[in-house]
Amino acid sequence: MSASSLLSSSARATTAAESRFRIDYPLAPARAVRVVALDPAAEAMVRLVAELPWDSARFLVAAGTQPAGEGDADGDESDFSVRKLDGSATSLALELFDVDVAVMVATTDSAAAAAATIGAACSKRAIMTAGIVIGNGQTQATVSVLRPFARVLMVSADESDLIALLTAVRA
Amino acid sequence: MLRQEINELLTQTGPGAPMGELFRQYWLPALLAEELPSNDSEPVRVKLLSERLIAVRDSEGRYGLMDEFCAHRGVSLWFGRNEAGGIRCPYHGWKYDVTGQCLEVPSEGKNSTFCANVKLRSYPLVKIGDILWTYMGDPEKTPPLPEYEWVRVPEDQTFTSKRLQESNWLQALEGGIDSSHVSWLHSGALDSDPLFKGAKANKYNLGDLKPFFEVTDSDGGLFIGARRNAEEGQYYWRITPWVMPSFTMVPPRGDHPVHGHFWIPIDDENCWVFTFDYLPVRPLTAVERQAMIDGHGVHSENIPGTYLPVRNKGNDYLMDRDAQRRGITYSGVTGIALQDSSLQESMGPIVDRSKERLVPTDSGIIKARAKLRKAALALRDEGIVPPGVDPAHHRVRSAAVVLPAEESFIDSLSEEMTVRPGVAQASV
Ligand code: FES
Ligand SMILES: [Fe+2]
Repeated sequence: MSASSLLSSSARATTAAESRFRIDYPLAPARAVRVVALDPAAEAMVRLVAELPWDSARFLVAAGTQPAGEGDADGDESDFSVRKLDGSATSLALELFDVDVAVMVATTDSAAAAAATIGAACSKRAIMTAGIVIGNGQTQATVSVLRPFARVLMVSADESDLIALLTAVRA
Repeated sequence: MLRQEINELLTQTGPGAPMGELFRQYWLPALLAEELPSNDSEPVRVKLLSERLIAVRDSEGRYGLMDEFCAHRGVSLWFGRNEAGGIRCPYHGWKYDVTGQCLEVPSEGKNSTFCANVKLRSYPLVKIGDILWTYMGDPEKTPPLPEYEWVRVPEDQTFTSKRLQESNWLQALEGGIDSSHVSWLHSGALDSDPLFKGAKANKYNLGDLKPFFEVTDSDGGLFIGARRNAEEGQYYWRITPWVMPSFTMVPPRGDHPVHGHFWIPIDDENCWVFTFDYLPVRPLTAVERQAMIDGHGVHSENIPGTYLPVRNKGNDYLMDRDAQRRGITYSGVTGIALQDSSLQESMGPIVDRSKERLVPTDSGIIKARAKLRKAALALRDEGIVPPGVDPAHHRVRSAAVVLPAEESFIDSLSEEMTVRPGVAQASV
């Protein structure tokens, strides 16, 4: 056996006693997370979750696409408006600046256009996207709407998965 | 990241701990049937959920699992003589049946009722498939027996092995839920392992290293879907079921046997990994069975006569830096089971989850932890029976299929993700 059988061997290094010496230092600051509610029921839930103490998470509501030309559904992000929870208007470009994770929350399949626009805007900026679909039972239409745009999709009965996800990524 | 108190809640499975009580709601694999091969077999020491027990098979073939220590003065019954319908402590001759009931106290008079009042704590031990199952909870609430397909198919269609893992059970389970590590850690195995190679879909795995994930509740736990690009307009889906508390299945490959695991806490710093392979409709071939015995696929090569892996932390898992450099194995450790186990043990016996940096693609793990916590607290506070106790929840399958891009696995695969007697697994 090689020199690894000395003090740094797995047998010794991975004991509970040695695990206590894992260096203790603060983790780098939490990553920037945006949560976007895609429809009114999702907004109600996002408002509840936003009450909890978060570090860097910001919560938004997709307000929809400005009416463009007939049959124009190209999902151009500059046509798309978002607002903060206090009702003030903001833009996707502003809100996605320097963001690491975007979480889209939807309860109905009416969220399709918004999901497409936000998903495209995130992929352009290399932002990891997650989708949370809320609803007991009939969620398939909503899931298929979000599927192409969310790297990760969670189907949930309530807000607990959103809270668990945000907590886990230290939002 | 997980707060320290939640980490403790999820990792502690001794008597009285909320997660310990949760585990005590289920029938759990206690040992392999081969460990008690015949009537009056040698007794076997088993530690489960931080309780030291002894497993016995008596002269009539009845199985039992009881307190390891003699009620008289605490000698381990492992030294006992298992004969003539019971196990006798070699120190002063007290004798017990498989239920732990004391049958004889030689020092007492012939008509003494003393021994009627001596009973060791015991649990039922039942053989289903190649497994001896136990239930360590309230006898009044004993659930119906398990119905996992791998133990319900004919004997020649199934194989189970077991290995010790020197880490907390949750670290091990999380490896079974987290399919995103497969394209990295196990990448070497797809074209070399006899139980993996040749499946048509392996090319999708290797062709798309950034899968998309979908996680959805099932009655007993979760289905975790990983989606990769297939041919134009199609996705390759791999579906991993998790049934609470700690049963996971790996999505199949081609016509290879379907494998999975049951992760069982020994104490808070060790667990047994029961590893199985089975086929719903055909016998395992002699070649397949031999490959499993030899430790290929998800099985492990164990030290003969033990369930301790040949590659273990005492020998640095026989780390092969040359194989790592040449890309034969990604981590330098040979064999899928020990590739997983070596890394999970390296985290320390109970990893400090307050230091993690999770990302959204860890959502299977995130959701599983949330469900475990919720179920443990609901049981403790309201006595609610957790998911996975009802045997109907056991009848799930993993699946590997190609679907049109617009189809949802949850919709399209509901039959494939359910046990269908006489119908083969859904696999490409
Ligand atoms: S890359 Fe996942 S633990 Fe290191
Ligand atoms: Fe693995």
